[in-house]
Amino acid sequence: MRGADAVIKVLAAHGVNTVFGYPGGAIMPIYDALYGSEVEHTLCRHEQGAGFAAVGYARASGKTGVCFATSGPGATNLITALADALLDSVPVVAITGQVSTSVIGTDAFQEIDVLGMSLSCTKHSFMVQSVDELVPTLYRAFDLAASGRPGPVLVDIPKDVQIAQLEYRAPLLAVADEPKVQDADIDAARALIAAAKKPMLYVGGGVGMAGAVEQLRRFIKATNMPSVATLKGLGAIPHGTPGYLGMLGMHGGKAANLAVQECDLLMVVGARFDDRVTGRLASFAPNAKVLHLDIDAAELGKLRQPDVAIAAELRAVLPRLEMPLDIAPWCAEVETLAAEHRWDYNHPGSLIYAPAMLRRLANKLPEDSVVSCDVGQHQMWVAQHMHFRRPEDHLSSAGLGTMGFGLPAAIGAQMARPDATVVAVSGDGSFMMNVQELTTIKRRKLPVKILLIDNQRLGMVKQWQQLFFEERYSETNLSDNPDFVALASAFEIPGRTIFAAEEVEEALTEMLTSKGPYLLHVAIDDAFNVWPLVPPGASNSDMMEEMERST
Amino acid sequence: MNHNLEVTMDQRPEVVERVLRVVRHRGFTLTNMNMRLVDESVYLSLSVSSERGIELLSNQLTKLVDVTGCHVMQPAMPQSASA
Ligand SMILES: Cc1ncc(C[n+]2csc(CCOP(=O)(O)OP(=O)(O)O)c2C)c(N)n1
Repeated sequence: MRGADAVIKVLAAHGVNTVFGYPGGAIMPIYDALYGSEVEHTLCRHEQGAGFAAVGYARASGKTGVCFATSGPGATNLITALADALLDSVPVVAITGQVSTSVIGTDAFQEIDVLGMSLSCTKHSFMVQSVDELVPTLYRAFDLAASGRPGPVLVDIPKDVQIAQLEYRAPLLAVADEPKVQDADIDAARALIAAAKKPMLYVGGGVGMAGAVEQLRRFIKATNMPSVATLKGLGAIPHGTPGYLGMLGMHGGKAANLAVQECDLLMVVGARFDDRVTGRLASFAPNAKVLHLDIDAAELGKLRQPDVAIAAELRAVLPRLEMPLDIAPWCAEVETLAAEHRWDYNHPGSLIYAPAMLRRLANKLPEDSVVSCDVGQHQMWVAQHMHFRRPEDHLSSAGLGTMGFGLPAAIGAQMARPDATVVAVSGDGSFMMNVQELTTIKRRKLPVKILLIDNQRLGMVKQWQQLFFEERYSETNLSDNPDFVALASAFEIPGRTIFAAEEVEEALTEMLTSKGPYLLHVAIDDAFNVWPLVPPGASNSDMMEEMERST
Repeated sequence: MNHNLEVTMDQRPEVVERVLRVVRHRGFTLTNMNMRLVDESVYLSLSVSSERGIELLSNQLTKLVDVTGCHVMQPAMPQSASA
């Protein structure tokens, strides 16, 4: 068979039944092999959309997402999505076509050094040198993407390799050893936990990626340890769990940040001390000893020196750390903090208050739901005010913070979970960044619901200009937005616009009960900001809170 | 601080580039380098300098898929001789 047929065969062998991509000259043999094959392909309308759809697919399903692009511009368009997958540790295999080996290095038509370009934005990347390497390389790519700390892997395949003949043989992969946990480390970790009077769990995205949600929940049940989560860790701990304070960090809840600052043991699980989480690192949880658990040994001690660190599968380690703790006074203190700093949804006036609307949406969503977000104020409101049952139910570009993520990620999620209610929450700026994917929704007849929160501003940037740049609103006014409902209708997506708080309930119901895709365009006041906020360079205890409306 | 590293890697055309990218990006200056290809393995001796701790670099290099070994060499002359 041809190399191209072997590519499809490897995908089928890995249970890949949907691929996102965009064809072109250097990947035509692979698209030819796809034609009529058992692997289903979803045509996106931009390679960045295809890359994010693969990310959304992977995040919503726990499987590896796959995307295709041609050489040159196709591959360069994929790069942002790969960078996004790298920073959020998402398993993705990207397959790019490359010009033939004989012309590589001659500046041939649509030739770009994709391998070179990928070095900084993938977990690993390959350029297949000969057809004999093709099948083993693809197997390796799938293994690498999903094992250890997951991530994106790129396989660049020259055109002549795609058309060369080979005899297909599935390679035997050496199974990598799981990192061994030393009993002494477990003992040291248990001693730290047992000695703590004010322990705090800091839960990151690694818990979901490792499939360790159940183990984490059992650990919390056994210890009663209070907890907070990062943006990517949301969903790992169910809302209502005693001592769970939600998100910490720059836009974290007040109780969450204050409790972390006060703890005497910070137990970090699948998280990495991101600067959006820690604020000023030197004063983050200043009195706490640190117990750090992560699959990626390179994260241990990278930013904060742990007292005990264990590089291992969380699923194996967490059960070994369970123990009853004698921390009732601390738990009571945490509950008091939580009660003191409850969110207030009583917003005066008739305008739509986005946090209250999102809270309502959360209450109305069926059990099997996915919310994908774009980037900005609306993203932080989703993180603060919605509740998630599992990490796979909340897709947000956390590490890279990529505008344009939400819509294509929702497409991928809906492909992965056809029966789920998938809602893409976007801002008027972000939505326009991959708006072409409305066609993909139409073509695939996907029932994706779009909640477009429109403040006619690049809201998050505007907020910073207001607070830290003397209200000099440089290039953040979007009052010349298109008519979004008319735009959606050009893609045969129905929708409506609402302006008043009293319309919210009924409009959300209409959106959620509509059969196919739907766009709910929500006009909000451009003066709303995200609170609290830890200013850049400040400690997490120094949160700014809502200020008077200026004007 | 100056450090010496010995890195062994599987031979791939881009493998040295991979290592050098990490050295630069993680905040280290390359001051000396020697590379040998023996059979299918690449042996790389690096001298680097940085304000940052060498573990940051060695951990990130160890993590690279093609890297099979990464050793930080002890300085030949310890700063303070102990009894
Ligand atoms: C691709 C990309 N470009 C620029 C930014 C910087 N940025 C972060 S938030 C933001 C504004 C987002 O505006 P919008 O989508 O309307 O959401 P809002 O903040 O108004 O809710 C910008 C420009 C980014 N995160 N990603």
